[in-house]
Amino acid sequence: MTTAPVPRARPNGWYGMLALVAAESALFATLLATYAYLRFSDPRWPPPGIEPPSITAPLVLALVLVAASAPLAIASRTARRRGAGPLVAPVALALVIQAVYLAFQVHLYADDLGRFSAGGSAYGSIYFTLLAVHHAHVGVGVLLDGWLLTRLRGDLTEYRRGAVMAVALYWYFVSLAGLAVTATILIPAW
Amino acid sequence: MAVESPAPAAAARIDRLERIWAERPGLTGWLTTTDHKRIALLYLATSLAFFAAGGAEALAMRTQLAQPNERVIGPATYDQLMTMHGVTMIFFFVIPLSIGAFGNYLVPLMIGARDMAFPRMNALSYWLFLGSGLLVYTSLLLGMAPDAGWFDYVPLASRRFSPGLGIDFYALGLILNGVSSSAAAANFLVTIAKLRAPGMSLNRMPLFCYAILATSFSLIFALPPLTADLVFLELDRKLGFKFFDVAHGGDPLLWQHLFWIFGHPEVYIIVLPAFGIATSIIPTFTRRMMAAFPLVAVAELLVAFIGFGVWVHHMFATGLPATTMVFFAAASLIIVIPSGIQIFAWCMTMVTGRPEFKTPLLFIVGFIVFFVFGGLSGITLAAVPFDQQVTDTYYVVAHFHYVIWGAAVFPLLGGLYYWFPKVTGRMYYERVGQLTFWLVFAGTNLTFFPMHISGMLGMPRRVWTYPGGLGWNVENLLSTIGAFFLAGGLVVLLANLVVSAYRGAPAGPNPFGGGTLEWATSSPPPAYNFDVIPQVTSAYACWDDADRADDRRRLETGELVLEEGHETTASTPVDGHLDEILHMPSESPWPFVLGIVATLGTAFVLTDHYLIAAVAVALAAAVLTLWHAKEPAAA
Repeated sequence: MTTAPVPRARPNGWYGMLALVAAESALFATLLATYAYLRFSDPRWPPPGIEPPSITAPLVLALVLVAASAPLAIASRTARRRGAGPLVAPVALALVIQAVYLAFQVHLYADDLGRFSAGGSAYGSIYFTLLAVHHAHVGVGVLLDGWLLTRLRGDLTEYRRGAVMAVALYWYFVSLAGLAVTATILIPAW
Repeated sequence: MAVESPAPAAAARIDRLERIWAERPGLTGWLTTTDHKRIALLYLATSLAFFAAGGAEALAMRTQLAQPNERVIGPATYDQLMTMHGVTMIFFFVIPLSIGAFGNYLVPLMIGARDMAFPRMNALSYWLFLGSGLLVYTSLLLGMAPDAGWFDYVPLASRRFSPGLGIDFYALGLILNGVSSSAAAANFLVTIAKLRAPGMSLNRMPLFCYAILATSFSLIFALPPLTADLVFLELDRKLGFKFFDVAHGGDPLLWQHLFWIFGHPEVYIIVLPAFGIATSIIPTFTRRMMAAFPLVAVAELLVAFIGFGVWVHHMFATGLPATTMVFFAAASLIIVIPSGIQIFAWCMTMVTGRPEFKTPLLFIVGFIVFFVFGGLSGITLAAVPFDQQVTDTYYVVAHFHYVIWGAAVFPLLGGLYYWFPKVTGRMYYERVGQLTFWLVFAGTNLTFFPMHISGMLGMPRRVWTYPGGLGWNVENLLSTIGAFFLAGGLVVLLANLVVSAYRGAPAGPNPFGGGTLEWATSSPPPAYNFDVIPQVTSAYACWDDADRADDRRRLETGELVLEEGHETTASTPVDGHLDEILHMPSESPWPFVLGIVATLGTAFVLTDHYLIAAVAVALAAAVLTLWHAKEPAAA
């Protein structure tokens, strides 16, 4: 009979998430490059009649989103080392911060849609597309948090440890992408 | 192993494995399967069906072009057939056959695993691929197929100039197809990183797996730009966005950049598995290991990497700055180096070995000839002034058919013969196989060589007919005759394999004396692949007789038989040390259901039923929840 050795490498689920993050990074790189490409082919950026975005709210929000990764990093460390630390509380904390972030962002998005349209100019098209893709990623992440919380109430199996690590990795990526997206949409305001 | 009559203890273990890994019988079994071998066979059958469709489209076009001023099919139909031919052959034939069928069947066997890392996601990849193919082909049945060429340039593909649904079928179908391919690529990356048998450190991994690894890296990074591009196009077409509209600050060249950032790595995605098959077949039939093994492994990865830096050579005629073009012309020349390393390694292996020219090796020799020829015409196209002369002529058509048909598909045909005994347990007819090679080889040259000349004489591509008296008549007639000749050869190939599947001589586990692990198990392999997880000490594990004898001994003692559950081993990614025992998911209906939901959701977006599409998204989330409801047993 073979007894299972204690794993030394990270779980397959974590590697799978890494592959997804690689693909997602290519997606965001494409969107950011598209923004830059369109920016440099049109000297009027944003086009006349559209206010440049305000700086404060997006910057503060982006930093809040990055901060939400801290409790997830703690949970992920606990899961990786099979430590005794709490898992539910940090994930729940992250979920609350991220959900509030998303609510604020959706509000800002709706506000922007009232000021100018995605179909009016290439600027509007890439602005709203870029933000929509980012917000969709945050939304999926919030759902992942919620799903993870339902699982963490039971025994802490290898499978669930792996899930904590994979969801944390997803959020590191989404937070970093959020910083890049924010820096990009603020280009006209500098 | 499984072929010898095992001792009682071993027989009892094999019995248990049979029970644990058995799947449902009949149609239900095929719909819910997570066995990588059965999924590979689904990919094989589906991609060959699409190949037949794409081939029929090609023959219809060649018939129309046989003589000047033909009126067999009209210009609108011709445009649709031309577009569907390209889309089919690339997205629904070559990639699903090479990655989906060959990759899926062989990678777990070659690395000594019992399944892929994510078996249910593997099934999902197949069902999404099937859904995307059926979706795109629905357009042809409805007579509204896409007609803007496989690369679908705007502004022609914009709503203003292509108001029908054809382009939407193309864009949404390919988005779905891209999700399928990305999932498959992620699956291969993790499978290759983690599921290798104990002892298979990276330097002992078969070169075919390196090729699939390189292809998967390329897919992961190349598909998102295409997906983004297709989403931009649909946003422009359906919701009036302005990505490609010059009047509102957009730029049509954005489409071309993003398309070719995907499109050129795509060429290597198509050809790299072919390289991998060549590096599998050559050592077997020359009785020696691949020459320059580590260099070939690195070259395979380098080809994939440099492939991302050459896309602008598809756009030399678009008026970009000279500096940009010089950079990309140089990169296009540099990529010849890793390709050259491989060509020399293949030739050197054959020259220094004792080659036995059976059918699979003949197809590889044909592949090398076509690859050198197509590569050389490719170098001529990397020269900007020459490119600007022949761009959009049949010279380009000739070049990429030598590369994509000759270089990428010939090894796939050779691979069909080579692994046929493994998959079916029976031998094909060798003499007929060799004859088929010559038919297909001659047909390929007869079809595509004259296109170089008609292209140099100025014949533009994508025309549905041409007037006489321009000096292109003979070349076109030859191409058409060649196309039917080639099709005849392929029918003989298919007939050989179909008849052999029922009447061929029994093959045994290793009829050709192959050196990789797929030959260490019975033909066809059992559902659990290996009676015992093999231990690996070299890159050609099946030639290590002592290790394989040790496998049989371990079957007696029960070491690494994993007979207690649906299990396989995981190893550390670099060194291949045994790391943990994984409980693998077994058959599941959810991938199939999710495939249907995703395809229907896409179809509702296509027909502007956004509310129903949103319901489909919610349904998909519900299916995913059910999918994950049952967790694997605690380790």
